[in-house]
Amino acid sequence: MSALLEVSGVTKTFDGFRAIDDLSFSVNEPELRAIIGPNGAGKTTFMDLVTGKIRPDAGTICYGDLSRDLTKMSEAQIARAGIGRKFQKPTVFEDQTVEENLTMALAAPRAPFAVLFRRTDARVAARGAAARVGLEDRMQTPAGVLSHGQKQWLEIGMLLAQEPRLLLVDEPAAGMTSAERERTTEMLVEAAKTRAVVVIEHDMEFVRRLNCRVTVLHEGHALAEGSLDHVCADPRVIDVYLGRQEAADA
Amino acid sequence: MTDAASSSGQKYLGGAGAGPRPLIARADVLVFLCALAFVTIVATLMAQAGWVSTSFVKLLGKTLCLCIAALAMDLVWGFTGILSLGHFAFFGIGGYAIGMWLMWSRTEGIVLETLSRAPLPATPLEIEEAIGSQIFGVVGSSDVPALWTFAGSLPLQLAFAVLVPGAIALIFGWLAFRSRVVGVYLSILTQAGTLALSLWLFQNDNGLRGNNGLSGLQNIPGLSGTPQSTLSLWFLWGSAVALALAYLLAAWTVSGRFGSVLRGIRDDEARVRFLGYEVERYKLAVFTGTAMACGVAGALYYPQAGIVNPAEIAPIASIYLAVWVAIGGRGRLYGAVIGAAVVSLASSWFTGGGAPDIDLGFYEIKWTDWWLVLLGLSFVAVTLFAPKGLGGLVDLWTARRAMRRQGDLGPDQGALRAEEESR
Repeated sequence: MSALLEVSGVTKTFDGFRAIDDLSFSVNEPELRAIIGPNGAGKTTFMDLVTGKIRPDAGTICYGDLSRDLTKMSEAQIARAGIGRKFQKPTVFEDQTVEENLTMALAAPRAPFAVLFRRTDARVAARGAAARVGLEDRMQTPAGVLSHGQKQWLEIGMLLAQEPRLLLVDEPAAGMTSAERERTTEMLVEAAKTRAVVVIEHDMEFVRRLNCRVTVLHEGHALAEGSLDHVCADPRVIDVYLGRQEAADA
Repeated sequence: MTDAASSSGQKYLGGAGAGPRPLIARADVLVFLCALAFVTIVATLMAQAGWVSTSFVKLLGKTLCLCIAALAMDLVWGFTGILSLGHFAFFGIGGYAIGMWLMWSRTEGIVLETLSRAPLPATPLEIEEAIGSQIFGVVGSSDVPALWTFAGSLPLQLAFAVLVPGAIALIFGWLAFRSRVVGVYLSILTQAGTLALSLWLFQNDNGLRGNNGLSGLQNIPGLSGTPQSTLSLWFLWGSAVALALAYLLAAWTVSGRFGSVLRGIRDDEARVRFLGYEVERYKLAVFTGTAMACGVAGALYYPQAGIVNPAEIAPIASIYLAVWVAIGGRGRLYGAVIGAAVVSLASSWFTGGGAPDIDLGFYEIKWTDWWLVLLGLSFVAVTLFAPKGLGGLVDLWTARRAMRRQGDLGPDQGALRAEEESR
């Protein structure tokens, strides 16, 4: 095991609000990691920083064997370097079929002229990617008519097709039925056997089922880290979660 | 798509409709090419029988060129989501490039013939001056501007018809896309660029004859013995071949993964970036490629129109281009062609006095005045009631209405809900 992603001293401020405040932590390969935290803890901002959507004010985010600094790369470069991201809302291309969605995601050259002129038959590979998420019977279905859960899976399938080394997953269980959650848990645990998977989640029950190391984020920095039972016993974590609860009740 | 769920997986590996079929075997391509060939052949036969006038043949040929521009607009707007309000400027530049050669060579021929009657043989300088005063006398000048250095060379001017639009689009697009200018801001930027270009062309001292434009383009140098009725047919055929090639090229471009990426950029460009595609390069490639296609179309159009002037490049022309594509149906190639053909032919019919005026007793509707109002109303109607445009009628015909459910609208059955209930 070696550190695949090393976040050190990262700070990001929006109009004076410190969304991420001196955040440091690392993810190994392979590993399944859950990040939990109350609303506004900076979970999604953290993802935006790693995937290059926004740049940090300070700190470094090093990735991979060569420890490349992600803060100096574009979104597309970061994606090609092997970081896949799943958004909170299922974001698939609704006008296009499952096959077209997956074909776009498959690991292959991505430069415009290579895509235009070197055409390869990716049907078998796309089918394989669909089979991993149980959508092999839906290849010609427009993604827009899939159910909410199937869209989430299609997106996970697209991420896996990218063959990423690091997978960032934002609230995968949101809006799913409990049977769909079970399938999703299986997919993520399976994926984490060969790569690093970071799951951001609100739902404690879902995190418990993932059965992995947990990082608690609070006001932009890592508050505690360890197994779910360990962090739940941490007085600071209880204070953050219950303290908010009391404030909300008051 | 319930049949898809219940059928065996094997069907999709070899099943019809699943794989990429050769372009030429696709129904829309085949139907389009046949229809185009049919129109061209019928028009040719009717022209030779004397049933339609030369000007009608020219109108048809010009319409085919406009269809090429509409195809380009559909590629850039309908498929990639870049609402460019400047693509007709590229069309005009193509016209200017070919117009310079047409005017120069023809004037050169006339000047040489006149000077040959003089007692002394003319020097090259005298010839150039004579051509200069012929072409630029209208703007009070006889010097040949630097822009016209290569006007005597057909291959070079043909190359300029493609390369100048390409170069302008490349530079403009690189600056705009790199700064991530999108949506309405990009539209405004393209329109501002177009306006600047047309205002510059209106200047008398720019070397392109100001608002006179380039004229007499219907007279092809070296073919003065060929009657316009024959020339018009040649241009009709040339335009038809160009449109056929443009359609094939566009269909090829929007098929496969490249087409998927383009439509992805239109629908959610951030997501495409996170898939590892450099969105800006794709946009630049499409923007530049379609600008070059517009240049070719313009080079074919203006010899049939006979005149190109700055009014052709004014922003309104590019807006018309967008209107054609919207009325025809964005995001489908035949939609763009149908829109351009129907609207521009209707426009000629209404404004050319073809449509009978309507006498309401207290007011007479003269179509020459009211056509634009009708066009505007149809644009609003299409936008509101038929976003798929005229091309959407094809869906009714094939009864293959695309199922759509955007976002989280509508009841969501849940993939495994039935399974859950049975527990």
